Amino acid sequence: MKKLIFTTLFTLFLGFSMAQEAPKTKSFSLPSVDIKTIDGKSFNTKDIQNDGKPIIICFFATWCKPCMVELKSIAEVYDDWQDETGVKIYAVSIDDSRSSAKVLPLVNGNAWDYEVLLDENQDFKRALNVNDIPHTFILNANKEVVWQHASYAPGVEQEYIEIVKKLLEEKP
Amino acid sequence: MKHCKAIFILLFLGYISAYGQNTLLQNGKLSGNVQLDAQYYIPDSIIGAEDLENKIRANVFANINYVNGGFSAGFRFEHYEWPLIDFEKINYVGSGIPYYYAAYNHQYFEVVVGSFYEQFGSGLIYRSYESRNLGYDNATQGIKVKAKPYQGITITGVWGKQRNLFVNEGQVRGADADISFTEIFPIIGDSKFRSGIGASFVSKFEKDQDPDYKLPQNIGAFAGRANFGYAGFNLQGEYAWKCNDPSAANEMIYKPGEALLLTASYSMKGLGVFLTGLRTDNFDFRTLRNASINNNIINYIPTLTREHAYALPSMYAYSSQAVGQIGFQAEVTYKIPKKTVIGGKYGTDIMVNYSRIHGIKKNYVPEAIAADGTIMLAGTDGYTSPFFAFGKEVYFEDFNIEIGRRFNKSWKLIVSYVYLNYNMEVIEGHTGESNVYTHTVIGDLTYKINDKHALRLELQHMNTKQDDGNWMYAQLEYSIAPRWFFSVLDRWNYGNPEKEKQVHYYNVSTSFVHKTSKFSLSFGKQYEGILCVGGVCRVVPASYGCNLSIVTSF
Repeated sequence: MKKLIFTTLFTLFLGFSMAQEAPKTKSFSLPSVDIKTIDGKSFNTKDIQNDGKPIIICFFATWCKPCMVELKSIAEVYDDWQDETGVKIYAVSIDDSRSSAKVLPLVNGNAWDYEVLLDENQDFKRALNVNDIPHTFILNANKEVVWQHASYAPGVEQEYIEIVKKLLEEKP
Repeated sequence: MKHCKAIFILLFLGYISAYGQNTLLQNGKLSGNVQLDAQYYIPDSIIGAEDLENKIRANVFANINYVNGGFSAGFRFEHYEWPLIDFEKINYVGSGIPYYYAAYNHQYFEVVVGSFYEQFGSGLIYRSYESRNLGYDNATQGIKVKAKPYQGITITGVWGKQRNLFVNEGQVRGADADISFTEIFPIIGDSKFRSGIGASFVSKFEKDQDPDYKLPQNIGAFAGRANFGYAGFNLQGEYAWKCNDPSAANEMIYKPGEALLLTASYSMKGLGVFLTGLRTDNFDFRTLRNASINNNIINYIPTLTREHAYALPSMYAYSSQAVGQIGFQAEVTYKIPKKTVIGGKYGTDIMVNYSRIHGIKKNYVPEAIAADGTIMLAGTDGYTSPFFAFGKEVYFEDFNIEIGRRFNKSWKLIVSYVYLNYNMEVIEGHTGESNVYTHTVIGDLTYKINDKHALRLELQHMNTKQDDGNWMYAQLEYSIAPRWFFSVLDRWNYGNPEKEKQVHYYNVSTSFVHKTSKFSLSFGKQYEGILCVGGVCRVVPASYGCNLSIVTSF
């Protein structure tokens, strides 16, 4: 029992002490992982880009309800976001072979304009230390992750676009 | 001793992360995540929550990754010494560093030494993966080499031992080639066509120590796949074949196994159609012959049914029957366009889904039929089975429809109906149980009070004459974006034929999110049921108590 408490506390302490470090390092570049595009082409995550404008990466799966709500909500305002800020959204599906073939009809069926990537083996998810989905990352002009958020609550997308706007203002 | 090692490595990495930024980690990056799930257990004899000796339990794990250019290394520390009761039930008990790796990724090749997750094709003959909330982790520990000699061609080789719970046992090795014509030939890449093929081979080794039978020790499996697409059409398929592999799962028959997975889809703006079929025959593939439940599985047979997100229909979820099943699933999603009379200002989403799975048809070989008519499969070739014939027995059937509509900026409603026919005898292995037929209606209403505050009410009712009878479910959720969630729910088994079992499974919970950290606290009762993630399921025992969960990544 003692051991359990000790290890638990220790692990948490370590986690948070490292988490505290995060602001110091501020931002980090995306890891290089081979995944696939929605047409089955291989794609390296280093090639995620938006001509020097901010990028949002949303991890999702077809079976994840909050993820669907998030992507549908953003889809309603995505045109406005793009007009105002030029932001680009990459939606990364972690569906496995049970449902990965559903991603394409789902994306087309909902008429989403996102760039959609398939992370069937969850290599990209692991490399970014994503525990659960939905999980969202915001990247600055240099393609560095400057902000991330786990879970989805209605209205949180408002915060995404505010951060994107701030990034644009910071730009010299 | 094991702990000392783990703590030492953690401390060391913590140190270099904190102080070594300008030296050791000049171009490198250290990152990771931590998850803690703890529960205080209260006994409750009516729902079947045990009176545990050790009342406070926790699952803890932490991943630490280091990346520097193409080089990466990392490990996972897991502490499940006194795990949550559901993990104890599946023997996921232990602690240490079962997962560690070093990898190098280059434009033309990739090498991983240590533990890794990989899948060939759709996983029919090989898939090593993790599902932490299920306690499922069959990582291969050994070496993985990937060669990418030309754009569009990938060759992968794996060799190693398989992780099962906290030991590595069972040998597995394999190779896969994947060729994408779309990428190799610009003429295809520039057109609306897409095409690719792939092939793989996997073999396992297990010594024959059986006193009665002469068992094969090296067992191979092959698979071939192809995909073809044109504009909105997509067609893909994979066929797999496996050598004879007598095991506990197939009752020691010497019959080879086979599996076929076919998927077709068509989509255009506002419309998506998806069709898939699957047949598996004697395709339970494990590194150890006597393994059962979710242990030592080498491959992944996807489940052909919709994964329900609502609580009541997900009580009766299908789990793939690798030893024999044939079935199909069809799904249509349609968006009634916005700004139309029927579609309303924001459009209306409609989804209809149907799936049906049967057993395969079996004609037993004469040697398997004893003089008195009983079936004695062990040691024989078992049975023959016509490939496309559906067996008489229905394993699972699901018809569901979901309609979602936003009325204005504040109100959004989803309504759904689900019919299920669930073969409890086959899926849960409860001999003699009849099929369970259920009808569920669901209403899910969201009211956005303003930009940050939202209320969500979920009501569900399940009607069934079998098993535990009727259920009612109500949940109210209040969220303040981006930080706070509050929820109260009650799941009432008011139709249980035994009066004293008409229990309210209530739950009160709150969670707080700060960037990548999530803290949740809940109190309530857990219904004894089945938890499924991605089609793999395990039994969750009933429990009562207080639960704390902390998740963070950095």
